[in-house]
Amino acid sequence: MKKMKKLLKSQGILLIICFISINAFSQTAREISEKASDIINFKSMEMTSTLKIFDSKGRVRVRQIVTATREFDQIPKTIIKFTSPADVKGTTMLVYDNKTEDDDMWIYLPALRKTRRIVSSERGKSFMGSEFTNADMVKPNMDDFNYKLLPDATLSGKECWIVETICKDEDIEDANGFSRQVYWIEKGTYLCHKIEYYDLDNELHRIQTIKDYRKQSDGGYFAFFLKKENIQNGRKSTMKIDEFLENSTMPESAFSPTALGK
Amino acid sequence: MKDIKVVKYKWLVIISTLLLVGLAIIPVFNIQTNSDLESYLPESMPSRINDVKIEEIFGKSDPMIILFESSDVLNDSTLERIRSLSKEFNRMKQFDMVMSLFDSKNIKGENGSMVVDPVVKRIPKSDKRKEKLRNEIKENELVYKTIISEDFRYTTIILNSAGNASDEVILALINDQLEAYPGNEKVTLFGLPYMRLEANEKITRDLMILLPVGLLIMFLFLIISFKQKRGAILPFLVVAFSIVFAMAIIPIAGWEMSIIGVLIPIMMIAIANNYGIHFVTRYQELSASHPEMSVKEIVNNTTRYLTKPIILTGLTTIVGVSGLITHIILPAKQMGVATAIGIAFALVLSLAFVPAIAVMLKKGKIPESSSGKGNTMLDRMLGGIAKVTTSKPRLVIFFFVTFLILSAFGLSRFEVAADNNKLFSEKHPYNQTLRVANKEFGGTKIINVLFDGDIKDPAVLERMDQYEEELKNLPEVGNVNSIATVIRIMSRAINDPQDAMYDRIPDSREAVAQYLVLYAMSGDPADFENFVDFDYTKALMTIQYQAADMQTLEKVENKVRELIQDDENASIVGGYSLVEKELSEAVAKGQVNSLIFALLVIFILLIIIFRSLSAGLIGSLPLIFTIISMFGLMGWLGIELNIVTALLSSISIGLGVDYSIHLFWRIKHEVAKKNSYTEAIKTSLRTIGRGITINAFSVIIGFSVLFLSSFPYVHSFAILIIASLFLCLVGALILVPAICMLSRPKFFKK
Repeated sequence: MKKMKKLLKSQGILLIICFISINAFSQTAREISEKASDIINFKSMEMTSTLKIFDSKGRVRVRQIVTATREFDQIPKTIIKFTSPADVKGTTMLVYDNKTEDDDMWIYLPALRKTRRIVSSERGKSFMGSEFTNADMVKPNMDDFNYKLLPDATLSGKECWIVETICKDEDIEDANGFSRQVYWIEKGTYLCHKIEYYDLDNELHRIQTIKDYRKQSDGGYFAFFLKKENIQNGRKSTMKIDEFLENSTMPESAFSPTALGK
Repeated sequence: MKDIKVVKYKWLVIISTLLLVGLAIIPVFNIQTNSDLESYLPESMPSRINDVKIEEIFGKSDPMIILFESSDVLNDSTLERIRSLSKEFNRMKQFDMVMSLFDSKNIKGENGSMVVDPVVKRIPKSDKRKEKLRNEIKENELVYKTIISEDFRYTTIILNSAGNASDEVILALINDQLEAYPGNEKVTLFGLPYMRLEANEKITRDLMILLPVGLLIMFLFLIISFKQKRGAILPFLVVAFSIVFAMAIIPIAGWEMSIIGVLIPIMMIAIANNYGIHFVTRYQELSASHPEMSVKEIVNNTTRYLTKPIILTGLTTIVGVSGLITHIILPAKQMGVATAIGIAFALVLSLAFVPAIAVMLKKGKIPESSSGKGNTMLDRMLGGIAKVTTSKPRLVIFFFVTFLILSAFGLSRFEVAADNNKLFSEKHPYNQTLRVANKEFGGTKIINVLFDGDIKDPAVLERMDQYEEELKNLPEVGNVNSIATVIRIMSRAINDPQDAMYDRIPDSREAVAQYLVLYAMSGDPADFENFVDFDYTKALMTIQYQAADMQTLEKVENKVRELIQDDENASIVGGYSLVEKELSEAVAKGQVNSLIFALLVIFILLIIIFRSLSAGLIGSLPLIFTIISMFGLMGWLGIELNIVTALLSSISIGLGVDYSIHLFWRIKHEVAKKNSYTEAIKTSLRTIGRGITINAFSVIIGFSVLFLSSFPYVHSFAILIIASLFLCLVGALILVPAICMLSRPKFFKK
């Protein structure tokens, strides 16, 4: 009996030690991810960018968009306006990045002079028909994933932490459209240079490369070039920031569905 | 008298034959089966070229359809099952498209928003929700009657294979998942991968059964006919050796076995013993009528007498089956080549190997009837025929003409098969599913129209929309879908019913482009991949319809072509149903080509052999009689001309002409002995008539093995070939003597 108790006790201690060590590890991995996320976090900005969508045969669709983001009552609100091609010029989207509920989205169609709501709960859905997903356009929910630090590696001369983030359950997998990601985060700067996305069968699906980080006045960084390649079907998309303004001065009234198209 | 060469060098002949056959066995083990009928079509066919062009833009379409049947498919367990299955299939790399209630989209307007959801977003837990879902489905033309049946008893999961997986792999994946997620629904499969796999299995099974049974029956028949072991063994060896030889051609030439290939060994069983049988008949006849002759003398004599007619009849048969080389589909050409070579080999064996063996055997006990003076039923029958044809030739001809006219009436009912869906029996699950697909899902035939140009141009879309409306008015057409359909559905989701833009193609290019942007925000951009290409310069309209015959196929196709004839944006008309139609037309054309080719060459051969035009005419008569009666019979019996039955006439001409040649040869032989025409004909019928009849029945019995095949096509072929050989026999034994009696052709005296 006594022996048993002792055994249990020692087992218990062992379990606790294990738990702490796992926890300590995952804390580190998560901390790195959080820092990496924070360093590019802008609550207010305006930019013009060019989205290029290539199919597997190299044909390209070019979209030019103007974006403005501001946070009101802790809800980031974004306006995305098409300036090119001509047939969709003036088409404007408005997104409320809600914390707990599904995001609110509206779109203004100038040819119809109408604003319509868009209902979407899937972050894994393609952004404008590109390889980017809606999830790439907003901040990830850190609690949806487990974090794991893999052995360090270098990426074009940069020492990197390799952080693996794994979806906690199948629902999260389905919503994001991937099972896990592997991040290349540069030591010291916390800048992420590369992300691998693994599909639901745990096979490499997409690779995103992030380039042209430019330091902003508040010490944060902003990436001016994103490329996302689909390894499985040969398609790719790029997003190039043409102009960037750190703070948006657009009034809150502009971020309302009724103001779209005005 | 000097020995013939094969008797002199008998050992050389025997050893080289065995060596050759031994070598030919090796490739036979490497025969592959391939039941994909489409793969046999020439790539130059216009419908295939069009299909390839469409495939280059929209990917290869080779769908598998899983059909679920339940009293109401909108019940919990069925929906759960479909959800689990479609989720699994979506994860599989082997499928590049999955369509089901959980994958197809419902585009609707809801409280001022456009919502794009899977048709079943949540499985309805209450009756009220279930009825709401039912009504939504009824309004969704992308789904209603395509994914779910009108009465909600059937629903489907449609999978398109990405192109790199074999049919075995595809079917195994599907069956594994169906087992992993069991349910009470009745599940059946449909689609070419399933059809091909089933056919492949049946081809292998057919070969395993038909060949041994065929050989056994043939052997028994020979034993009974000749009442002597060597009489059976010698022709049997010829058959067995020439089968090996003919089959070896297939892998050596790099070909694969199709459903048509199954016929090759059976044809060899039926045909290759002809020459051996004539050898044994003559051998027995001489032994019986000249008991003083030695074995060597008999063999020498028999071989000398038979060399010419055997070569001639062999040649005409080879010409007949070579008619198949003019056929458009590859397996028919292959069959032509393989059987022609096999027959040539059988011919050589009968004139070299058979005498070489026969000369080494002792003279056995010879059955009495062999001399032509016997009294078996066959002998009595032949005697009767001889009497009637020589005494009442006009009456005989009158009967033949009457029969011909009666059968010819059937020609008006003669039909060419529109597709190969009847490959399996009516009861086969494939055909059951086919019937459901036609009845509940608007048909299994597809025509595709490719539109080229600025697809976002409202004028182009407006025309597409008009064509759809017109086509939907045809009772045969089930569904018509294109990007225009989707734009119109969007117009209903975006606009309110009182708006001018509601339920119509918008009037500006900008509006179309913005509809699509809106959709890209709410749905998956891949949703339209089947309808429009990446840069909106090419769009595909898919017309789904049903057709059981060529007339309906033509009606729908003509309507489509008529609609688009002045539309400069509409370019290619494709789709599997057009490939099938072109195949059917090609089969009919191939039939006519090979028929004319074979008839003409045989007509010329007869003229050359007997140096007489009338020999060509009289010899061709039973063939023409047989062909016309045959097509008439097909009309009367409702047997369609399909890829298998189309092989028939060349083969029956090639075989049937032999009977006339043997008869002519013998009559000539008898006339040369200064017999009168009447006597010559009577003697010929009693002697060679016996050989011809045994020969014909051996062929008929050989072919009757085909009734054991798993393919109804092959059964039809068996009925027809047996009927046509019987007609050829009757024509040669009754019609030809009667005509000879009346016309007294001079070529017999040459």
